Amino acid sequence: MSELLSVKGDDFTGVAVQEGTKIVTSLKGNADYAAIDSVEKLLDKTHDEALRTTASEVVIDLRQLEFMNSSCFKCFVSWITEVQELPEAQQYKVRFQSNAQLHWQKRSLHSLRCFAVELITVDEE
Amino acid sequence: MVSGQANNAYVELNFRPNVQLVSVVRRFVSEFYQRTLSDPDGTSRVALATHELLENAVKYSKDGETTIRIEVVSETDPREISILLRNRAEATHISAIREIVDGVANAPDAFGYYQQLIARKARSKDGSGLGLARICAEGEMKVELRVLDGDVVELEATTHVGGSK
Repeated sequence: MSELLSVKGDDFTGVAVQEGTKIVTSLKGNADYAAIDSVEKLLDKTHDEALRTTASEVVIDLRQLEFMNSSCFKCFVSWITEVQELPEAQQYKVRFQSNAQLHWQKRSLHSLRCFAVELITVDEE
Repeated sequence: MVSGQANNAYVELNFRPNVQLVSVVRRFVSEFYQRTLSDPDGTSRVALATHELLENAVKYSKDGETTIRIEVVSETDPREISILLRNRAEATHISAIREIVDGVANAPDAFGYYQQLIARKARSKDGSGLGLARICAEGEMKVELRVLDGDVVELEATTHVGGSK
């Protein structure tokens, strides 16, 4: 496992790591207005590394993410759009790990999955 | 607008919100919702709406002053929740809010409108533009806009949530 990028704010942390053929990107805390730049950087790095290493899958771990505002949610929309616009052979799958106790996640991930059902799966714990 | 009863649970804050305060207020009112309601999903929906409305107020407020009133209408279950934000905004910002509120209201369903907006905003670099539609689609809330005295904006989000404590 090798760390690709970590970001840290007052109320938000994120880390992207390479785990074999996967990239696992974890977000923790509160993804609000103050976290937008960090979320963007994290997703940009995740995308670049997924392409560079021809990753089999990207896992986004939200299990410890208390909240995500619409601006950070839109960072995910923009990232998924970039993946959708790649030639099919370069597209990679995205699997979200969510926390059933954090009810907003179910609703927001449903919205995101409807936007890109061919790319996204959601696991709930 | 929700008509209040004398014994309704409510919280009202008059403050000058900034970006840092939005999450503080969301946590504070989440505690209020959790102590008042026994519906965790409903609590999550109204907390999300509160956060998005407050960020909207930070973005659009003319003078920074904002009033938020959250009321649990107590007559029957499921309870009706009202989140009312009042502040002053520029005409261009009022138009932007109205476009989204009318767009959701005139769409066959809020979720479909939200999906269209997500697709439209995917490449936009100018804010998310998704907050109000998210309140309606993910928060399952109805949002009404009222403009008083030219530049005083009232945004009220209402919904029903399961049982009271």
